[in-house]
Amino acid sequence: MAVCIAVIAKENYPLYIRSVATQNELKFHYTVHTSLDVVEEKISSVGKALGDQRELYLGLLYPTEDYKVYGYVTNSKVKFVIVVDSSNTSLRDNEIRSMFRKLHNSFTDVMCNPFYNPGDPIQSKAFNGVVSGMMVQTG
Amino acid sequence: MAHEAPFQLLHSELIHYICKTADGADSENGRSVTKLENMGFRVGQGLIERLTKDTARFKDELDVMKFICKDFWTCVFKKQIDNLRTNHQGIYVLQDNKFLLLCHMSAGKQYLEHAPKYLAFTCGLVRGALSNMGVKSIVTAEVSVMPACKFQVMIQKL
Amino acid sequence: MSRQSNRTTDSKKMNSELFTLTYGALVTQLCKDYENDEEVNKQLDKMGYNIGVRLIEDFLARSSVGRCQDFRETADVIAKVAFKMYLGVTPSVTNWSPAGDEFSLILENNPLADFVELPDNHSTLVYSNLLCGALRGALEMVQMAVDVKFAQDTLRGDGVTEIRMKFIKRIEENLPAGDE
Repeated sequence: MAVCIAVIAKENYPLYIRSVATQNELKFHYTVHTSLDVVEEKISSVGKALGDQRELYLGLLYPTEDYKVYGYVTNSKVKFVIVVDSSNTSLRDNEIRSMFRKLHNSFTDVMCNPFYNPGDPIQSKAFNGVVSGMMVQTG
Repeated sequence: MAHEAPFQLLHSELIHYICKTADGADSENGRSVTKLENMGFRVGQGLIERLTKDTARFKDELDVMKFICKDFWTCVFKKQIDNLRTNHQGIYVLQDNKFLLLCHMSAGKQYLEHAPKYLAFTCGLVRGALSNMGVKSIVTAEVSVMPACKFQVMIQKL
Repeated sequence: MSRQSNRTTDSKKMNSELFTLTYGALVTQLCKDYENDEEVNKQLDKMGYNIGVRLIEDFLARSSVGRCQDFRETADVIAKVAFKMYLGVTPSVTNWSPAGDEFSLILENNPLADFVELPDNHSTLVYSNLLCGALRGALEMVQMAVDVKFAQDTLRGDGVTEIRMKFIKRIEENLPAGDE
């Protein structure tokens, strides 16, 4: 379960960001922002490594003392970032992957909503619901 | 199974509506072509998002272009682009020898002048799809003999 | 080419998505062009009508369905053949009026509205109103005057989408019907 989930536009500004504890919000914004450099690095290294899979899922971007930050990039260059608590050791790579898949599917539906302007902040109820299902329940 | 007839009729209605509402206000039909193009643009953005949801990441611009010619075109128009040419300097020419949205029009010369209206939506479709993949472009179309059609894509370098 | 082409199986679905998205672009364009939802609804109905009167030819040619004996048979053909052929879904036919001149098509999922979330300022927009016009137009071509409207819509929070159809009269063959 995530403590922060963010969607970043291809021009690197946030389309959506949600985190659990409000007092840490700034910190999460910072974490997400920092992770973008790692994302760029991973994307631009495409084609250089042999047997490159060119997967959308980028895996663990970096661990901090408290959190693990995972990344995913769509073919439209939109980035998804999921932050989980480092203490949460039971979370497997497969589960992270499936969370990203769900996010991606829901994001695709948002993109297909004719009333949504691509590039605008995401305010979809359906998308919000999907994210809620992945966040750590607090309080 | 869903059929292409509703799309073709909807497309005709779209043209009919846009061109009718433009009449009077501006005699030039350039404005209606732009409107149709913009509608296609938005549809292209959504379609390509769905279509590339489960594909590997693209290597480069040419890789994206090939995808448009094969997968994207097949999904939208039931066939692949017949010929893709490029000068390797940002210009691509996509040729469709039997373009679906022109097939129902007679080959007569008198229909040629209406062709731009029937191509505007598709130009937008391609531009929207490319734009969403991070490739900015200008897309134009030309018809010399119905129902063959050439789409020219000029990549806009940043 | 490095890219695997295993997507042919999706192409039918994609084509309906093309329709869905194009329809969405049309509705949002109309919302820009017209002041209020009522006028958008009217315009959608009109465009649907134009589509219906032409789609029926394609339908009759493709389906080899003969003349319907009664309104019940018409209802079945609309739900099981026409909707299936063009939208890929089969609505259920229910809620018949005692006189047998009125019924409902219940759509569990409406392909036109697949990805739509209505903004709050369009509370009176009948998003899929094109369907009503199309049904009316198509039936008029086979000498049936009907009244069609949305009774429920999942887009507006209802549990299902319901299209209500009422038979008005049989149109005499010798009278000119629709646009010539």
